[in-house]
This record gives sequence, structure tokens and C-alpha cells, in this order.
Amino acid sequence: MNNTLIDFVIVSITLLSIGIYGLAVKRNAIRMLFAIEIIINAANLNLISFARFLPHSSGQTLTLFSIAIAAAEVAVGLALIIVAYRMYKNIDIAEFRSLKG
Amino acid sequence: MIEITSMPIILIIILGTAGVFLPIISIIQKKTISSTLYWIISLTALLFSIFYVVYRLISSDTLSTFSEDVLTIDLLGNLFAISMLLVAILTTVGSLDFIRKKSHSSIYFSLILLSTIGMVLVAYSTDLIMLFVAWELMSIPTYVLAGFLKKNPSSNESALKYFLFGALSSAIIIYGISITYGLTGSTNITEVIRIFSTIDAEMLPLSLLAISMFIAGFGFKMGLVPFHMWLPDTYEGAPPTITALLAAGTKKAGFAAAIRIIIIGTIALNFDWMVALGIIAIMTMTIGNIAAILQKNLTRMLAYSSIGHAGYILIGLSTYPLSNIGLQGSLFHIFNHAIMKCTAFIAITGVLIAIKTTYIEKIKGLGIKMPITALGFTISLLALAGVPPLNGFWSKLMLFGAALDAGSTYSWMYWLAIAGVLNSALSLAYYGWIIRKMYFEGEKITTIKEPRSIIAVMIFSILFIVGIGVYPEPIIQFTDKIIFQLTMFLS
Repeated sequence: MNNTLIDFVIVSITLLSIGIYGLAVKRNAIRMLFAIEIIINAANLNLISFARFLPHSSGQTLTLFSIAIAAAEVAVGLALIIVAYRMYKNIDIAEFRSLKG
Repeated sequence: MIEITSMPIILIIILGTAGVFLPIISIIQKKTISSTLYWIISLTALLFSIFYVVYRLISSDTLSTFSEDVLTIDLLGNLFAISMLLVAILTTVGSLDFIRKKSHSSIYFSLILLSTIGMVLVAYSTDLIMLFVAWELMSIPTYVLAGFLKKNPSSNESALKYFLFGALSSAIIIYGISITYGLTGSTNITEVIRIFSTIDAEMLPLSLLAISMFIAGFGFKMGLVPFHMWLPDTYEGAPPTITALLAAGTKKAGFAAAIRIIIIGTIALNFDWMVALGIIAIMTMTIGNIAAILQKNLTRMLAYSSIGHAGYILIGLSTYPLSNIGLQGSLFHIFNHAIMKCTAFIAITGVLIAIKTTYIEKIKGLGIKMPITALGFTISLLALAGVPPLNGFWSKLMLFGAALDAGSTYSWMYWLAIAGVLNSALSLAYYGWIIRKMYFEGEKITTIKEPRSIIAVMIFSILFIVGIGVYPEPIIQFTDKIIFQLTMFLS
């Protein structure tokens, strides 16, 4: 219980940096999806820790919504990735080149 | 608390019921029913909603501005709701002949309805939680719709790219919301802006970080230039009716959210942000229009032109505190662009159904083959280029005029007007090229049968575009009232 707000924020910023690194470097669709999930979870951690140090808790409400929405988003994303895998036998987005101009 | 009989709730009930029951009907029904039934149900729900919005708009004179609730019913929201419902109606009508031969048409119409609820709620929401939920309700169905042709590799590729960038944009938005919440202790936009206007100097960098995260997150959907790379691929690969929904609907929802948060938030922060938005505006329109010239595919060309139009709309946003006419022109151009782009993409759907391709070389003689589609397409292209007396002319006139007005205060704003006029001239070059291919090339061709649903959309849009072009007064007055409400709120 000795943790201060800044500890949580540092962890959250670290997670954000890991997520952005993953998006910038990796080209595998599932890895990119999980990098995005890490960013969303960094935001959730931020919201919960701010809500703990603030008089009211609407941040925790938003976190619940955000977790549910992230789950819906991942469901749609994985479905799209499965369809892509059936078509190309590969989920490297650098290989998808039917559209360019 | 928001009442159950308030307008956004009624819209959720109407559209949501239709959207949820369409797939259930298709499961209960043992023998396959034609997609026309689903089409009629969703069209009825949409028509009922738009008449309801217009009825409430006309009947009630007391109008609330930004409120303490999660939703408000103000004129800004009404304008966006009407244009998005109009786009959803045109898309639904135009989809009938496109979707007839394909399976799962009930899900297609149901997802369009659900996405429309999201767009309408984005326009009305005044709370960051509500805004985020509505934003996702709008986005997630469109990821599925973009990949609807699941046997088609390019549709799947476009959906995957759209999904990755869309999910990234919502992750950035929620990070921005979390910083805002930490700084202000509230998620209500009115409250946030009130606290932002009296924020400490040492917290100012953090609040600017939050605003720039909002600009990045909403900018992905709006297609502003550093964040535009997914847009041409998605617009080209997705089914063209869905492209109409994306270009005319979700993009405008991004602007609705931007006006509520970014513009008002930056004014409250009292930070010199006009330069940043002005640079983004010039880059967006220049890159969009130059890239459009090089394209060989109609959808891809119009996708780049859609990027260019986001730049024109941004001119008005960047001149807002100096001249009200700028934001008025932006709102008018958002409304016009929704109708024009939707018409153009529905016309492309007709071309795709009839001659199975959208390459510009292949549409020679379209003016004789498909006279009504070609006429609608030509009118919408001329309106996009801003030829008088069509509706695009008036909104561009207001935007560039506002930039010239503002130029007397900050001299760099003249460049916004110069870039805008040069880009309009440039865009007329490639629009004119398409029109020349349709009417002045190709020989010995006979007419082919045009899909009836496309003809209906074309006739409506021609009347609408020319009608607003000849008599733009009502909408200009309507935007004037919106600006009045916003200034009342800010003072």
C-alpha cells in the first residue's frame, strides 16, 4: 500500500512504449494485434490508478467498458486473421500485396 | 439522467431492434427468403429514424447545448445525425442489387444499422466514456463489413489493414482519455473543458499530449495526412457500398468528435494550435490530390480525393476562433461531402455490377452505356470539384473566404486559401479526365441494363446536389445557428 501514483504511471508508460515498439517492428498480424492490446491495457492501468487517487470512480467504469470492447475487437480481428490465413497460408502483413498503387 | 423518451434513445431503440432482429429472422426462417425483405426492414427503420430526427428538430425550439449528461441533443449533433442517416439510407438502397446474389445479406444490413447507431451516438455524446463506446460501436461493424466478400483476397486484405489501424486508433484514443481523466478527474466533456481552461502551467504539456493523442486517434479515421496510409487500400478493397459508408459516414463521425473535443479543447487550453492544424490541412489536401492524379482505379482515385477533402474541411477548423464563417463552411462541407462521396461510390457500385471492373480505361463510353449512372457520377464529381451552381461550390467558397478573412490577422493563413484553390483546380483535372472517358471516348456501344436501386440513388442525389446548389440558404442558416450555440458555450 506504499505505492504512489507515479509508480503506476511509470509501468503504464513502459507498457505503452513496448506496444509502440511491437507495432513499429513486427509484421506478424497476431503480434501487431497483441501490441495494440498492450497499449489498451496500459491505458486501463492508467485509468484504474487515477481512479484510486481521485474522489470518484468513473475511471473504473470506463475500464470495464474498455475491457469488454477490447475483447469484441480482438474477436473480430482474429476472425479476419483466420480468413487471411486460409487464403494466403501466412499472416505476415508485408506479404499482402494485392492492393497498391 | 437522460430520459428514455429523448431522441438518441429512441433512435437506438428503432435502429437497434431492426439490427438485432434481422439475423434472428434469417435463422428462424427455414426456407431462404430473398434479401429484399431484409432490405425493406432496414430501410423502413432508417427512414423512420430520419423523419423522427427532422420532426424533433422542427417541433422543438428549446435546444440544450453541452450538458452534464452523457448525451446531449444539440444542433451540432442534429446536423451530423441527419447527414449520417442520409448516408446510411443511400448506402442501404444502393446495396440491394449488389448484395442480391450473395449469402448472409441479413447480417450485412444488420451491421450497417448497428454502425449507423454508433455514428449517430458519436455525434450526440458529451461524455468521454459514451464517446469511446459509440466510437467502437461504429468501428467494429465496419471492420467486418470491409471484409464481407470473404472469398475475395483484396477484400480480406483491406479489412485486415483497416482493422489494425482502426484498433490502433482506438487504443490511442483511450490512452488520451486516460490522461485527460487523470488531469481533470472527470470524463464529462463540459467539465473537462472547464478544468482545462484554468489548468496549471506545469500541467500544460500533459494536456497537450492528451489533445495530440486525440488528434492522432481521430485523425486515423478522418484520413489526415500522417495517418492516411490505410485509407486507399481499404477503400479500394472493400465492397464499394461499404466504401461509401466509410468515406461518407465514419469519416464524418471523426470530424464530429474532433469538433467537440479537439477544437473546443485547444481553445480552452489557450494554446496556439492553428499553425499545427493549418500545416496538417495543407499537407493533407496536397498529398491527397497529387496522389489521386496517378491512379488507374476509380475507387482508389476517389479514396485519395477523399483524403484531399479532409484537408479542405480542416481549413475551417484551423481558422475557427478568427472567423466563424470557417467553421460554418466546414460543417457545410462535411454535409455536402457526405452526400457527394456517397453518390460517387454508389455510382461505382453500379459500374462494378454492370461491367465487373472499376479501371478507368474500361469505362469508356459509360455515358451511352449507362446514362443515368454516368449522369449522377458526373454531377457528383463536378460537385466535388466545386463547380457552381452545385453544392460543393458554396462550401468551398465559405472555406477559402474564411481563410482570406483570417489572413488579415495571421498572414500565413493566405497560404491556406492559395493551397485550397490550387488543389481544387488540380482536382478538376482528374475529375475531368474521368468525365472525358465516360462521354467522349469509346464507339459503337449500346445501352446495358442499369440496376434499378442504383438509378433510385442517382436520381435522388442529382436532385439533392443541384437543389442545395441552387438554394443553399437553409443549411447555411442552420450552420449559423450551430456556431451561435458553440460560441454561447465557449463564452
